[in-house]
Amino acid sequence: MTPRGLHVDPRDAVPIWKQIEEGMRRLVASGALKPGAPVPSVRDLARDLQVNPATVVRAYQHLVEAGLLAVKRGEGTFVADAIPSVPKAERGRALADGALRYASAAVTVGASRDEAARALDAAFARLAPSKEGEKK
Amino acid sequence: MTDAATTTPAVRVDGLTVRYGRTIALDAVSLDVPTGSVFALLGRNGSGKSSLVRCLLGQQKPEAGRLELLGSEPWGKRSRLMERVGVVPEEPDAPREMTPRQLGAFCAHLYPSWEAKGYDARLSRFGVPPATPFGRLSKGQKGLTQLSLALAASPELLLLDDPTLGLDPVARHAFFDEIVTELADRGTTVILTTHDLAGVERIADRVGILKDGRLLLCEETERLKSRFRSIRYRSEVTEGRTEFGNELDEMDPLRAKVRGWGIESVVAGYSDERFNRFAARDGITDAEASPLSLEEVFLAVAGEEKGAAR
Repeated sequence: MTPRGLHVDPRDAVPIWKQIEEGMRRLVASGALKPGAPVPSVRDLARDLQVNPATVVRAYQHLVEAGLLAVKRGEGTFVADAIPSVPKAERGRALADGALRYASAAVTVGASRDEAARALDAAFARLAPSKEGEKK
Repeated sequence: MTDAATTTPAVRVDGLTVRYGRTIALDAVSLDVPTGSVFALLGRNGSGKSSLVRCLLGQQKPEAGRLELLGSEPWGKRSRLMERVGVVPEEPDAPREMTPRQLGAFCAHLYPSWEAKGYDARLSRFGVPPATPFGRLSKGQKGLTQLSLALAASPELLLLDDPTLGLDPVARHAFFDEIVTELADRGTTVILTTHDLAGVERIADRVGILKDGRLLLCEETERLKSRFRSIRYRSEVTEGRTEFGNELDEMDPLRAKVRGWGIESVVAGYSDERFNRFAARDGITDAEASPLSLEEVFLAVAGEEKGAAR
């Protein structure tokens, strides 16, 4: 029931609810979860990930507020039919912020620009496998 | 979720002190457990965990301080409170000759809110043979039977005393599965003492660490993990393995070790800004901060002689 590619790592510095939120965002953005598709209930996801249900509730609440998930009473929680696009300004800012963080991490460990770019490619490949690789 | 701040905590402990002869078992311990939360009480053997549990169960009269469990003082009200509290003891304590089925039938008479169906369903989900005498069950089956008994009474509060001790990974997984389901379905408050830090790390909202009868810290798991980091770096000042300077002070270092390649330290007051300031200092190179698991935090706080964690 848990969508493939949704994992939590309690050792990660990112709080577990945030890992779930980001994981869901990634699955929606990559098309692994289609608009209107059901997502696991809080109970099921908490059981599968063995996390506190309150943690899942928190992640889902954020996603509902952001318009990514929609709750249908009595039916469950679904990916929104129309996924809100991220405003251009916010998108640019998020990218720039993330890039700065990554660049500073790379500089800190003394990585070259090429090395950093290769690591970035590898990370892309892990998070959003190219569509060609998937079965139609 | 809604008005957690305004509801009464499930447990309220204030200045609780317990003494056995001249030994102080609990030294002015104060903590709250919010209703519906999962509280993990951690500590080494002899840290005072069992004394606190005994006070909560009304088996130990505190020498000083106040203790409220579901709104009333447990001492003297044990039998009435226990209708509302499910307990899974550290040592399985059911009569050896009774089978899980007989235990269920027995307990059904004791608890007004007994759910016989839920009890049978859990036993079969756990794969516990219902007709085998309790004494002949495996350690894992005993633990899961006790959990089934505790949950069938629909408790408002579940008290688990090192419940996964000695359970194999499969039984442990089943155990936590059931706790998570119970939390999702009924919002039961859970208090557990444990040495299984990896197991509770994902589930506990709050963590308290006891050492020598004192509560070293008690806070949200998320906050705790966000402020602890392991920091590794090289410092030109410490090349000669001499005393290291005060470069980490702003991040509240618990301990620092000079290693061959540099310095390794655990800090209790990490933030990104503080770390960046530190890493930019003259003479500091190769600075790296990595998050700690709950187990590593516990070791850093309770494992050292100098157990200060402000």
